[in-house]
Amino acid sequence: MMKRRDEIVVLTDAVLITCIVQRGSADAVVDAATEAGAQGATIFYARGTGVRQKHLGVLGITVNAEKEVLYIVAPGDHADHIFERVYVAAKLETPGMGMIYMMPLEKMATYVPPEVAARFGHHSSHHG
Amino acid sequence: MSLPHTKHPENPERPAPRLRYGEFLSAVRVKQRLVSYNDVHAEVPRHGRAPRLRLLDVHRLLTPYVSVRFLEQARAVVPLALFLALFQIAALRTSVIQGEEIAFGMLAVMLGLMMFMDGVKYGLMPFSENIGFKLPDRSPTIVVLAFAFLLGGIATFAEPAIGVLRAAGAGLDPARTPWLHLLLTRYPDRLVLAVGAGVGAAVVLGMLRFIFAWRMKTLVIAVLLPCLAASVYAGLDPRLAPILGLAWDCGAITTGPVTVPLVLALGIGVSAAAGRQDNPLSGFGIVTLASLFPAMAVILVAAGLVAEVPDPAALPALVGAGGTRAWWDETPVAELLASVRAIAPLILLLWLAQRFVLGEKLAHRQLIVYGVVVAVLGMTLFNVGLTIGLIPLGDQAGNVVPSAFHAVSGGEPLYPYPFGVALTLLFAATIGYGATVAEPALNAMGVTVENLTDGAFPRRLLIRSVAVGVALGTALGVAKIIFQWPMLPLLLGAYAVALVCTVLSVEEYVSLAWDSAGVTTGPVTVPLVFALGLGLSKAVGAAEGFGILAMASAGPIISVLAVGLWIRRRSAGES
Repeated sequence: MMKRRDEIVVLTDAVLITCIVQRGSADAVVDAATEAGAQGATIFYARGTGVRQKHLGVLGITVNAEKEVLYIVAPGDHADHIFERVYVAAKLETPGMGMIYMMPLEKMATYVPPEVAARFGHHSSHHG
Repeated sequence: MSLPHTKHPENPERPAPRLRYGEFLSAVRVKQRLVSYNDVHAEVPRHGRAPRLRLLDVHRLLTPYVSVRFLEQARAVVPLALFLALFQIAALRTSVIQGEEIAFGMLAVMLGLMMFMDGVKYGLMPFSENIGFKLPDRSPTIVVLAFAFLLGGIATFAEPAIGVLRAAGAGLDPARTPWLHLLLTRYPDRLVLAVGAGVGAAVVLGMLRFIFAWRMKTLVIAVLLPCLAASVYAGLDPRLAPILGLAWDCGAITTGPVTVPLVLALGIGVSAAAGRQDNPLSGFGIVTLASLFPAMAVILVAAGLVAEVPDPAALPALVGAGGTRAWWDETPVAELLASVRAIAPLILLLWLAQRFVLGEKLAHRQLIVYGVVVAVLGMTLFNVGLTIGLIPLGDQAGNVVPSAFHAVSGGEPLYPYPFGVALTLLFAATIGYGATVAEPALNAMGVTVENLTDGAFPRRLLIRSVAVGVALGTALGVAKIIFQWPMLPLLLGAYAVALVCTVLSVEEYVSLAWDSAGVTTGPVTVPLVFALGLGLSKAVGAAEGFGILAMASAGPIISVLAVGLWIRRRSAGES
C-alpha cells in the first residue's frame, strides 16, 4: 500500500498554449501573458519559415527565420484569455509574425504550495 | 473544441454553483470565430498573390528591422560626432561650421552603412559562404589560391572606407611632398591597386597557412621583418620618407566589414577541406596579414614611382583640374558611379566563380538582387555622407584643435603651450578610445575570445586593452603630426616592441593581438581620423598628416600582447 506522504499533486484541466514568434520578441509576449494570468513561460529557440518567402516579397527579408517558441501552461479557465492577450501582444494578425495554438493537457504537476494543496485534501510530509 | 473548462453548467458531473471565472472572461473577451482550417486551406490559392498589407503591417514589419540596424550604426557614430562637436564648442570655444550639413551627412553615413551592411549580408555573403564551402573541396589548390587572391584584391575596392583615399590628396603641398602628392592626385588608381594586390597576397598567404597549419608567430615575424626592411629603405630615402605614413595607414583602411567576412568564409572552407580540426582561433590571423602587406605594396609602388618620375614638378598640370565639372562629377551621381565601380567587380567575380567554377545556379536570386541593389545604394549614401559629413567634421576638428596651444590667425593661443598640447593629446586619445569601444566587431571578437580562453581573458578586458592601445596610438600619431616627427623611428619603435612581445607570447595571444589591430579601424573611424590628421597637419604646417591610423593599429597589438603576458604570469604565479 502506498504511504500517504508519497502522494503527489497532479493537476488536471491544464492547457498548453504554444506561441511561435520571431527571435527577440518573446519577452514582450511573455510579459503580456503574465499580465493576463499566466504563471510562467518556457522559451526555446528554433528556426522556421512560412509565409515570408511566398507572399511578402521584399518585405520578407524583415522576417527573421530564427524563432522563439513559447510554452505557456495555463489553467483551462484562463487559457482563452491568455490566448487572446498573447495574440494581440505578438501582433499575430500581421503576416510573418508567427502563430499560436493551444491544446489540452491530460495531466501536469509542479510545485503547489502545501497550504493550498492541503485545502484539496492532500497531505504532504510536513502535515502528515 | 471540448476542453475541460468548457463544461457547461448543464453538465451533470460538475454543476456550477456560481459564475465561473472562465465564463466571466468569455463574456468580456474578444469574440472568437471558429473556422475549420480545412476550409481555409482550400480557399487560399497555392501560389497566391501577395496579401494586402495594411500600412500598420508594413510598419510592424519594417520598423523593428530598421531600428535595430540603424541603432547599431548610430551607437558607433553619434557619440563620436557629438564628442568632436562638443570638444570644439567647449574646449576650443568655436562653433561647428555648417552644422546642419554635417548633421545631415552623419545621418547619411548611418543610413548608408546600415543599408550597405544589410546588402552585403544578403547579396554577397550567400555567395561567399557557398563558394568558400565548396570550392576548396572541388578545385585544385592553385585555383583556390587564385580565387583567394582575386577575392582579397577586389573586396578591397568594395570597402567603404577606401573612398577616403580619393579625398586625401587635396590638402597636400606639392612642393614639400612631391611624390606623395603625385601618388595621391595623379595615380590614385595605382595606390588602390597596390593596396588591393597587397590584400590579395595576404589572403593567399592566409589560405596557405590554413592548408599547412603554419604557426601565426612564425608568419608574423616572417612578414613583419620584410615590411620593416622596406620601411627602413623608404624612410632613409628623403624622397620616399613622407610616403611611409600613408603606406602604413593603408593597411588599417583595408580590413573592413567587406573583406574580413568574405575572406573568413573562404578560410573556413579551406581549413575544412584540408581536414584540420576546426580551431576557431585559426580564423584569426588573415586580418593581420591584410594590414601588413598593403603597407609593403604601397612602399614598392612609391619606389617605382620615384624611379619613373625623377622630377614631379616638371610634369604638366593635370588636365581638367580646376575646370568645370561634368554632370557625372556632381555629388550624388559621382558617388553612385563610384559605388557601382566598387561593388560590381566583386559581384562579377563571385558570380563567375559560382556559375563557371562550381557550375551552380543561384538560389534565392531575388534576395541576392535585392542585396546588391541595397549595397550599392547604401555605399552611395555613405560616400555622400563621407563628403559632406564625416570628412568636414574631422577636417574642422583638425583645423581648430591646434588653436589650443598655437597662435592661429594672430590671436593668442587659448591655453599655455604644455597644457594645450596635453589637451590635444587627451582629445586624440579619447577619440581613439571611444571609437574602439563602440566598434561592434570588437565586441563580437571579445565574446569569442572569452569562450576560447575559458574566461581567462574576459570580454571587457579585451575591449579595454584594445581601446587603451588605440588611444595611446592615436595620441602618438597626433603628436607625430604636431611635432613633425619622422615616421620611421616611431614605426620601428612600435613594431620592435610588438615583435619582442610576440616572441615572448603564446600562439593564441599572438593571433588575437595582431588581429585586434585590424578589427578596430571601422568605416566610421577611418575617414574621421584621416580627415582629422589632414586638417591638423594643415593647421600646424606639417608636410603630411598620415600615420595616425598606423600608430592606432600598432597600439593595440602591444597592449593586448602585454595583457596576455600579464595574464599568463599571474596564472603561473597562482599555480
